[in-house]
Amino acid sequence: MPESTPFTSRRGLFFGTAAVGAGVMLSGCTSNKSDDEPASNDQPAAADTPGKAVTIGFAGPQADHGWLNAINDNAKSRAKKYSDVTLEITEGSNDTAAQIGQIETLINKKVDVLVILPADGKALTQVGLKAMRAGIPVVNLDRIFNTPQAYRCWIGGDNYGMGLNAGHYIGEQLKDVDDAKVIELAGLDNLELTKQRTQGFDDALKNYPNIKKVARQAAEFTVESGQAKMAQLLQAQSDFDALWNHDDDQGVGALRAIEQAGRDDFLMVGGAGALSAFQAIKQDNGVLKATVLYPPTMAASAIDLARALGQAKGVSGLAEFEIPSSLTLYSAVVDKTNIDQYMPTGFK
Amino acid sequence: MTQPVSPPRSSTDKIPSTAQPPAWRGVLARADVRTLSLLGVLAALIVVGGITKPDEFLDTRNLQLVLTQGSVIGVVTVGMTFVIMSGGIDLSVGAIVALASVWATTVATQEYGFAGILFTAVLVGVGCGLVNGLLIAYGGMVPFIATLAMLASARGLALQITDGATQVVTIDSVLDLGERDAYILGIPPLVLVFAVVTIIGWLILNRTTFGRRTVAVGGNAEAARLAGIDVRRQRLYLYLLSGLCCGIAAFLLIILSGSGQNTNGNLYELDAIAAAIIGGTLLSGGRGTIVGSVLGVLIFTTITNIFALNNLQSDVQQIAKGAIIVAAVLVQRRTASTT
Amino acid sequence: MAPEPPLLSMSGITKSFPGVRALDGVDLDVQAGEVHCLLGQNGAGKSTLIKVLAGAHQPDDGTISWRGAPVTLRSPIAAMRLGIATIYQELDLVEHLSVAENVHLGHEPTAAGFVVRGKAAKASTAALLKRLGHPEVDPGRLVGELSAAQQQIVSMARALSHEVRLIVMDEPSAALDPEEVDNLFRIVGDLTADGVAVVYISHRLEEIRRIGDRVTVLKDGRAVAGGLPAKSTPTREVVALMTGRNVEYVFPERPATPAAPADAAGAPVLEVQGLAREGEFAPVDLTVRPGEIVGLAGLVGSGRSEILETIYGARKPTTGQVLVDGRVLRPGSVRAAVRAGLGLAPEERKAQALLMLESVTRNVSVSSMSRFARGGWIDRGAELAAARAATRELSLRPDNPSVPVRTLSGGNQQKAVLARWLLRGCRVLLLDEPTRGVDVGARAELYAVIRRLADEGLAVLLVSSEVPEVLGLADRVLVLREGQVVHTAPARELDEHRVLDLVMEGAPVASGRSVAGSSAAGSSADRSPADGGRGPAS
Repeated sequence: MPESTPFTSRRGLFFGTAAVGAGVMLSGCTSNKSDDEPASNDQPAAADTPGKAVTIGFAGPQADHGWLNAINDNAKSRAKKYSDVTLEITEGSNDTAAQIGQIETLINKKVDVLVILPADGKALTQVGLKAMRAGIPVVNLDRIFNTPQAYRCWIGGDNYGMGLNAGHYIGEQLKDVDDAKVIELAGLDNLELTKQRTQGFDDALKNYPNIKKVARQAAEFTVESGQAKMAQLLQAQSDFDALWNHDDDQGVGALRAIEQAGRDDFLMVGGAGALSAFQAIKQDNGVLKATVLYPPTMAASAIDLARALGQAKGVSGLAEFEIPSSLTLYSAVVDKTNIDQYMPTGFK
Repeated sequence: MTQPVSPPRSSTDKIPSTAQPPAWRGVLARADVRTLSLLGVLAALIVVGGITKPDEFLDTRNLQLVLTQGSVIGVVTVGMTFVIMSGGIDLSVGAIVALASVWATTVATQEYGFAGILFTAVLVGVGCGLVNGLLIAYGGMVPFIATLAMLASARGLALQITDGATQVVTIDSVLDLGERDAYILGIPPLVLVFAVVTIIGWLILNRTTFGRRTVAVGGNAEAARLAGIDVRRQRLYLYLLSGLCCGIAAFLLIILSGSGQNTNGNLYELDAIAAAIIGGTLLSGGRGTIVGSVLGVLIFTTITNIFALNNLQSDVQQIAKGAIIVAAVLVQRRTASTT
Repeated sequence: MAPEPPLLSMSGITKSFPGVRALDGVDLDVQAGEVHCLLGQNGAGKSTLIKVLAGAHQPDDGTISWRGAPVTLRSPIAAMRLGIATIYQELDLVEHLSVAENVHLGHEPTAAGFVVRGKAAKASTAALLKRLGHPEVDPGRLVGELSAAQQQIVSMARALSHEVRLIVMDEPSAALDPEEVDNLFRIVGDLTADGVAVVYISHRLEEIRRIGDRVTVLKDGRAVAGGLPAKSTPTREVVALMTGRNVEYVFPERPATPAAPADAAGAPVLEVQGLAREGEFAPVDLTVRPGEIVGLAGLVGSGRSEILETIYGARKPTTGQVLVDGRVLRPGSVRAAVRAGLGLAPEERKAQALLMLESVTRNVSVSSMSRFARGGWIDRGAELAAARAATRELSLRPDNPSVPVRTLSGGNQQKAVLARWLLRGCRVLLLDEPTRGVDVGARAELYAVIRRLADEGLAVLLVSSEVPEVLGLADRVLVLREGQVVHTAPARELDEHRVLDLVMEGAPVASGRSVAGSSAAGSSADRSPADGGRGPAS
């Protein structure tokens, strides 16, 4: 496995600190807001004094899922904070052709910076290149383009790390259990990110010889599929110790199935960071004990980066003059110990 | 002047030479090879499940699980069978289920409790069916197009209502129906609804003028029109019926998942069409059975169950599903051509 | 016969389908340059035999020799390569393609192996159409826009676009009017003069007499007679061979007291007043009394079927009205017509009347379902009993209304349609080509049934392209020409020649619509205006 080498080093890096990670790597401290707006670190990434006016074009997929909806909200509210930023946001679309058209419109409007969360990273590479060639820097959000030439800066989550951290969290919890059994409720198998999450999870579990993954089923990121697949898993496995569920949205269904089956003999770790999951972790009266973040606050950071690019500034807190070309966010584990800190970032 | 031939009393009309065989033999003969072959497939699946996972598969809890999981798509499939029998198609079923489940679980609706949720789900389903029916029967639109348009707009509206968020149901009386030990007459509520819808569907199709008209319209719409049947009104009713089934299914889904989400009912249209087809329903209309469709649903649900119990992954499941569709249709073609 | 081996020799051909032995050791010899007629009732095996010949069915047993050498016809393409072309009764043309594209379908003239040379295809198509006597058909037009007769010509052009040595024609004259039939026979004559053999299937004995050389008669999957001389074999003998009985082409006796217009037989049950449809037929007035059979005679395209369907409400009239018992029907409503007591036995029985997948019972009860239903629930016992009573009254065979209607012969299928209206208590029967696809033996029985229904008080309006049928069955006849009633007379005052004179009189002017309009023949006399439907013709 090529992952094995970086894995050990990564492990050294975060071991023991898994529960304390920051939402966004480049932000140091945190401060929470209590109003309805999606919360994130309020500290602007670049210099916070108003500068040159910047028009940022934002194109994302259709917000048909809680996480994607949170992405839009984060981008919008972040942009609102800056008096020097104008946000041109397109109607979300899952259709590659439609999204290409929307981005081309933004290019023609000569926006200063583009933030693109492509419906399909590979399929939208060309239009990213086109924007770059037209002199518009592109901040590629999460789903990565085929070539670094198509973006100035990529910022996104760490799917492999999500699985890895979930695996380590479960591993630590079950350290003293002999012959522990773990099951996995994965997301949509058609997506590469699902494979990466599973890979990370499996790699982490290799460190715990007492743990064995006994079953895995893929749901579809929907409540309905989460309930259906979880019900089958519970029927198949009469006895296990832990469950990792890739996605908190389908987790609503999974929890429903668990409740329907009357099971409470295992611990469950979720994924993504939905508000409902946070609330359940805080209440601590069910199987859900933790969730691994895939933070939608990355959209707010993308706006920060776009603004900095538009104003030709660097990132405060880094020695370099230039903004990094790639930022991988940390998939922190949220459990009872740090839940209050993350509660405001939970998405509906 | 010719008098209408009045139906003579059957007692005076028994003709020995052409006397009908006993009723049970008629039933057996009419439970044709198609249905029997489906039963055979189901039996084979049960054997496979029983051999591979005897403890988990051959368990009343598992039977309950399979039937419960199949009940939502099962109810949709009953409605779809009627539509396909009439020579139409309803591509909007999944979207209607999504819209109805979402509309019925908004905060505002939940204030009205159990009845509010049930009423809204059914009303939204019927409303969408009405629009489909009017567009097709009186607007002259092709069913494929009209229901495709409904698919798009109902999904869009569902997304607009939820903003992509999951709407959790907080009404206990609704949630309780989906609990582990909820039984009505000793049957899990969802399974009971599925069974009742199936039986009513069977009765309507086989024992009522509505069913006859459906078959006539599907078998030969022009002949039905010239025989004095109001073909357009029948079409309207059929899409209404399909919408009603979607509304009921949405309510079942709310019970099952304890929530409403705009992604609900994903690809139900394909699942329902596939189940109807392997159940022997002619895609061009005029022939089909409710029993066949329901067996189709049960076959698919059982496959999913067996695969999940054996921890086989979704790629294998999808391949198997495709293979089963092809195999079932081929077997039926073969058996049908030899009789 | 000629000493050299026959062009085609089939011997001992056997073909079974599940439950049916369609062909049971059939022999057939066809010489080059002859017209070999194939006769037989429906279900005798004609269709199966020609499908074997066309390579569409594989025989279970038997041998086929082509010019003395045994061959196997594995597929339609194999048959085509030998030079066997088949023109099926139900034309197999693609409506949305042009004439030229249809003619060359599957063997388009190409450049470099794949580029279709459209111009070459059009040119060769035009040449073929000219040879077939229809130079006016534009190779670029869509087939769907052509009349039935023109489509037949296209089908024939397609057959001739191959190197052809034998053409099978399955009831080619069924959809044609007399002039078109003449043209067809001219084409057949040209083909045989070139040494091409024609296997000709028809129900019409007079056609076989005109162009046939030899006749093979099929009955119940066997060839009961082979190679009879077509011109000299007595009709009685041919009919006897086909039916196994000695049946004349008989019409039932008319009632002793004909329901003449002046007769006090009662008020008309059906009255049609000035009914017209733009572009289809001019205003028509007619009345039908209970017990009376009124016939509409005319060429294909004269508006006969359209008149019936408009009376029935299946088409909406431009002007005029239909009255039943003096009450005006809502125009363009089939349901209103049915409720008032009208019943239609349409021309295309399978496409317009029958639910082919359903049982006889359900086909019979479909228009009277509510009679057996309470609150929508059908009393199936009562339904079956009523269907049985109605079908038995018409002697429908088999005497089991539970069998699927598709297993019935053409005549019995027609009886099922009649039983539907009988059960409904219908008072006016509209019959459109009631004996189309019904074999000779069964026709007489159907005629008797229709007459009996009239005797019992039904009013019958009959349309038929077979003049003898109209004359033999109807009490009164309306002669139609190009959508106009040109003559009305009691049937006994007319004969076939007189009717044909009437329908042909005045060369049909090319209207671009009707089949008659597209035929070139006819006298050059001025088109005489309709003379109130009474005046004598030239």
